[in-house]
Amino acid sequence: MPPSTGAAVPAREWLRHHAPGLLTAAGLIGVWETAVRLSSVRLDSLPPPSGIVLAGIEAVRSGQMADDLTHTLTATLAGWAAASIAGIAAGILLIQFEGLRRFSQAAIELLRPLPPVAFVPVAVLAFGFSFATEFSVMLLPCLWPVLINTIGGLGQTPARLLEVARCCRFSRWRTLKKLTLPHAFPTILVGLRLSLSMALVLAVVTEMIGNPQGMGYALIREQQALRSDTMFAYLFVIGLTGVALNAALRQAARWLAPGWRHVL
Amino acid sequence: MSAVLECRGVSMGYAGAGGVRPVLADIALTLNPGEFLTIVGASGTGKTTLLRLLAGLTRCTSGEVLFKGERMTAPRPGVAIVFQDYVHALLEWRTVGGNVALGIEDSLPRAERDARVRESLTLVGLAHAIDDYPRHLSGGMQQRVQIARALAMRPDVLLMDEPFGALDAMTKQSLQDELLRIQGETNTSFVFITHDIDEAVYLGDRCAVITGAPGRITRSFDIHLPRPRMPVETRQMPEFLTLRAAIHAAIDGGGRAGA
Repeated sequence: MPPSTGAAVPAREWLRHHAPGLLTAAGLIGVWETAVRLSSVRLDSLPPPSGIVLAGIEAVRSGQMADDLTHTLTATLAGWAAASIAGIAAGILLIQFEGLRRFSQAAIELLRPLPPVAFVPVAVLAFGFSFATEFSVMLLPCLWPVLINTIGGLGQTPARLLEVARCCRFSRWRTLKKLTLPHAFPTILVGLRLSLSMALVLAVVTEMIGNPQGMGYALIREQQALRSDTMFAYLFVIGLTGVALNAALRQAARWLAPGWRHVL
Repeated sequence: MSAVLECRGVSMGYAGAGGVRPVLADIALTLNPGEFLTIVGASGTGKTTLLRLLAGLTRCTSGEVLFKGERMTAPRPGVAIVFQDYVHALLEWRTVGGNVALGIEDSLPRAERDARVRESLTLVGLAHAIDDYPRHLSGGMQQRVQIARALAMRPDVLLMDEPFGALDAMTKQSLQDELLRIQGETNTSFVFITHDIDEAVYLGDRCAVITGAPGRITRSFDIHLPRPRMPVETRQMPEFLTLRAAIHAAIDGGGRAGA
């Protein structure tokens, strides 16, 4: 492949691949705009897309959007990172030490089905309306996907690979570092991605009812001020944030593990 | 000449529901330095178990396995193994070079490691594929990567468990000749397990026949075919044909006696 087309071809490919989906989205927005404009009844709760865009631009100009987004992103990434590190570490320990697994299994199965949002009142009681509340609400629900996928991925190492490790006379930790952990990378990444989406959802929810800051609180603030166009603008930015975070994580994974690029 | 690898009265059984199921009985075997020993037998005679014992991956229930006179209880430096299922034995997330480096990357400085990796890949004719991923290679090439990984550790003994069993006839033929060339260029001893009598005679200096359940080594044939072996000519030599027939008879006879 000549290097000059190296960048152009993927871009064109990308467009061809996504064109149908983008067209549908554009069509839906068009229908929405037309319906609102032609309607004889004026709905305060449903602004036209053009109005939402204008309100969004205004929120960006004033700097309010950036402040709110920064807060929510910080909280999301902090909670996600803490839960991920804990989840991977706990998964490794539970796989390495059979006894630990036996003692913790019941506790995990009891805690795991709890609805994530159920922790908000508990956290508010403990930490008040604060960042600590937001952060602590995320920890446990974001831990599970990472922990379960780490255990699953590490447990799926082919027996043959473990024999290869034995023939190279690797210690337990060297086997983990060189074989089991890299082998489990794609599975663990699934957990990290689920957990990242979960972190954003919980940040927004907690900001709505626990910590009055960020994007979640902005939704409530604009709703109570009856600025439905600005509220919708925030809603879309939250959605785009989710897409961007997922894409960024995927890109980071591809860079971190070039050998797994074909499945990431 | 002192043996590199030796089995003395080795028996082995797996514990099952109905007590211990014997797999190997009273195996006596010696491997001399630089020797190419082939072990041939039907499926279910414990060939793979024997190789795992020699690799130190399993322990025998009685008798002893000695490597350079020392009792073998776990895998040791100096003994490398090549498995039949190269797909699972290779690290799919590492390049060919990364796979070959696996066994030496912690013990050797970088420059020496890189030189060793290149040298091993050159030996198996894969120097050009050093940066490729195994999934981009054919089955025969992937098996060569596994052989290169074993060779990079500079083993005294290379154990091979039906390494060409999953490959097509043409690939198999060219890998057999490559293996013989590698044997000539290095000073490695080989234990090569196969169910293919033709392959066992073509490659070996000596061929042990394992029969029955539990498996026993019932015959051993010295193979005095001239080297280098030639793909067509060697196989047409009277001695080749005689040996092939004799091994065939030994497997059949042993099988009936064991059954």
